Amino acid sequence: MTLGLGRTLNLLEYLANSQFSYWMSVSMAGFPTLIALHSVGMGAAVGLSMAVTLKLYGALPDLGRYPVQRLLDVATWGFTLNLVTGLMLFIDRGPEYLASGIFLLKMLLVFIGAALTLVVRQRVRALASPSGTLVDDGVARVMSLVATIAWFGAVVTGRLIAYLSDLYR
Amino acid sequence: MSEKLFQWIANSPLADWVVSSPYIWPTLESIHFVSLCVLMGSLLVVDLRLIGVFREPIARTVAFLIRLSLLAFAVNLSTGVLFFFGYTAKYVNNPAFEIKLTLIAIAGLNALYYRWRLPNLVNTREVTRSSIAVGCISLALWSGVIVCGRMITFYAR
Repeated sequence: MTLGLGRTLNLLEYLANSQFSYWMSVSMAGFPTLIALHSVGMGAAVGLSMAVTLKLYGALPDLGRYPVQRLLDVATWGFTLNLVTGLMLFIDRGPEYLASGIFLLKMLLVFIGAALTLVVRQRVRALASPSGTLVDDGVARVMSLVATIAWFGAVVTGRLIAYLSDLYR
Repeated sequence: MSEKLFQWIANSPLADWVVSSPYIWPTLESIHFVSLCVLMGSLLVVDLRLIGVFREPIARTVAFLIRLSLLAFAVNLSTGVLFFFGYTAKYVNNPAFEIKLTLIAIAGLNALYYRWRLPNLVNTREVTRSSIAVGCISLALWSGVIVCGRMITFYAR
């Protein structure tokens, strides 16, 4: 177990000192572009998660099951963009990110948001009524609300990484 | 003229307030980002309907989300003005900031075109070339606004 952790840290050290990491720090196509795309993915994933929660709590009454499914599909694409760019940003300074408490809190919130959104997505697929509307599901509603709160928490903690860690100083 | 205005802004009591505590700027940024997600989510639903990703008539949803996006935009604008007051030098003559403002202005015109030409489209299952164009342009512009917003730091002099 300890050996595994040591190897992982060695790998992260290696990646943080690689040519890729150097390119990330000097090229405008590196860190600046990736962080910008990370924000676009964030807007789509978090914003659409919020829209689905509003729907499940009755604020968007004429939004049927099919549009909600499509919104969750697009939210998943947004999250995929976040994941890919996030991993590339992580590779740049892996050991430093792992030592940052605020980053680890962000990751926990991202995990909660992503896991609950996936469950909501599956429940929405199963909640078809013959008319195409969504069947009222209290569990999906609460999960969606918790997911949206976790996503917004991830947005705030993500922003605070710059202030509560030494990563960008 | 503009030089004097920027100096006045940078020396104003509001500018002093924004930098008076180490907590204010991060708090404003957090609010700006949360509000950005609300704006993006609201507009995405409307744009995806205009593009035809789904065709259901969702007039009440669109009315609600447009009000919500205007509220989110007002919050973003307010926090954005405070950023400008707090660190004027970062924004003046910054190409990323200038492009961001231009994209927001074009997005406003695009929204006005929607109000003028397509207000009743979301009452129907219709998708037109014009609605697809409005939806795609809106998505591209707001994505560009986010990208340019993030680039401001890297183009600051």
